[in-house]
Amino acid sequence: MESGSRRPLLSAPRGFRDILPTEARELRVIEQALTETFAASGYMPLEPPMIEYSAAQPTQERLIQFLDTDRSLVALRPDLTTAVARLVAQRYRETAGALRLSYFAPVFREEPAMTAGEREVVQAGVELIGASGPIADAEVLALLVESLERCGLRLDGATIQVGHVGIVRRLFAPLAEEPRSAVLSALRAGDLVGALRRAHEAGMPSEDVTRARAALGVIGRGIEQLDGDDVSELRQVVHLARERWPGSVKLWGLPNIGLVPALPYYTAIVFEALHPDVGVIASGGRYDLLIGAYGAPRPATGFAIDVLRLHRALFAEGWRPADARPLVTLHSGGDERATMRCAASLRAAGLSVAIGDVAETAGIALIAAEVVDERRVKLGDGRTIDAATLARELAR
Amino acid sequence: MRPLRFALAQGLLLNDALAALRAIALDVSRVTPGGRRLVVDGGGNVEFVLARPSDIATYVERGAADLGIVGKDVLMESAARVLELVDLHFGACRFVVAAPRGALERSLDEYRHLGSLEVATKYPRVAEAHFRARGLEVEIVKVAGSAEVAPQVGLADWIVDLVATGGTLRANDLAIVEEIAACSARLIANPASYHYRRAEIAPLVEKLADWASRSRSGANQ
Repeated sequence: MESGSRRPLLSAPRGFRDILPTEARELRVIEQALTETFAASGYMPLEPPMIEYSAAQPTQERLIQFLDTDRSLVALRPDLTTAVARLVAQRYRETAGALRLSYFAPVFREEPAMTAGEREVVQAGVELIGASGPIADAEVLALLVESLERCGLRLDGATIQVGHVGIVRRLFAPLAEEPRSAVLSALRAGDLVGALRRAHEAGMPSEDVTRARAALGVIGRGIEQLDGDDVSELRQVVHLARERWPGSVKLWGLPNIGLVPALPYYTAIVFEALHPDVGVIASGGRYDLLIGAYGAPRPATGFAIDVLRLHRALFAEGWRPADARPLVTLHSGGDERATMRCAASLRAAGLSVAIGDVAETAGIALIAAEVVDERRVKLGDGRTIDAATLARELAR
Repeated sequence: MRPLRFALAQGLLLNDALAALRAIALDVSRVTPGGRRLVVDGGGNVEFVLARPSDIATYVERGAADLGIVGKDVLMESAARVLELVDLHFGACRFVVAAPRGALERSLDEYRHLGSLEVATKYPRVAEAHFRARGLEVEIVKVAGSAEVAPQVGLADWIVDLVATGGTLRANDLAIVEEIAACSARLIANPASYHYRRAEIAPLVEKLADWASRSRSGANQ
């Protein structure tokens, strides 16, 4: 608390907020659906630390940084894929074969003030490390769709979009290294105008620039007019993923060549889940060079779901979590020993019990009950009922 | 789903933007520059929203609008994460560094002796990025308007400003030291909307790109 100021600081720092019980309960339901889905495909949970060295991050943009006591510059982790890559390069350096890892944890990114930007974001995701080829990409893509659907999200034909960074890079392959990387970083920043201008200035013939522009606009069936191994890879991944998770939408997975994520580490297949009200709910793809940057080259692919956005999308669609079992609020008749014993027998019968008033219900239904004796209570309608009967009634 | 929302910058660009939209057969008849209705129906599941130029990027970044027409200058200063899809070529202007005419040598001498220059600008982000890239040590003085008087009144040595014809600079006896960037109007899109609603958006983008290249080759003839 700031000394000298009279008013205590009650609000959280900009971009951070409290999650109160109603929301927290809904997030738990989502968390459970996601972690169970990840586990059912063989993904093992792990928890990297909250803080990483700033210098070990692939991009210094948007880091929330501070000096550690040993004066090294550290950052709140901006991204879990990077943390997992670092961890794998250290802890699984000698491991051959596929690692299936999952996480559910917050990440932190700087946002300009006054933009309503959140600086703490909860990510749920998986990384499939050591496996390459379309079947690995398809596994991860299908798992994303399964995860979203198991949470209750309604998908349509445009929700899941799949691109390929290799196709984009190939469009500008004739350019020299330096202008090509400038073109690609402009595309990652969303500046299509600047990217194409840069390519033209670097000597790319006008008709090739026009061709690149057209290719970057290709979506859906238009991809059939393109050729190349990377194009067939994209199509194959989408087909295989639909086999793995047919889902509720026929032909989910829209090929989209212009899908270029902002993060620099993707090398091949990339994908996003989009929602009309909320924007990007999840993103992922193949990042074969990232772990190598930490000294242990390994092919890898994965995705991260922005859990708070997923929650917002579910809420926008009218989703509410399945009712939690009601909470019995037990009011003492004066005999404290009987009250505690009664609470024990209600709990033993499988009921949720709170003694006394409950000021924050988080949307859970309350059943008020007054203690009669060690195993019986009186309900609001005047009936006296024993613990086992009450449990049976509430279970219906 | 709500209509496709197109954010248009009020002010200098609005008439050109409306001409472009009219040329691709969108109904802009209900948009009245200076009018009080700021969200108007454009027919065919399109609506227009009018806002200040610097707010257009915010609207589109946050998905309150799907598409927008706004100057590159505004985009550079806002650093909003939006897709820049088409250069519409109108509203051309340049970000420049300017100094009092004849005083360039003196200010460079000052830089050698005093180690830094003061730069007044309405565009601190653009100015800072430019001088950082050039490796010049400057102190940015943010002003809300009329940066061009800053050197005259001793507020700053140089200015970074947006110029169209250069008339204002000449009138204040300033000369361009260097150009930072050429700017013109851009068609921008919210990234998620652009991908999710491509079937609706792509035809508009194509028509505007055609219109822009035709109007440009027309202007060059």
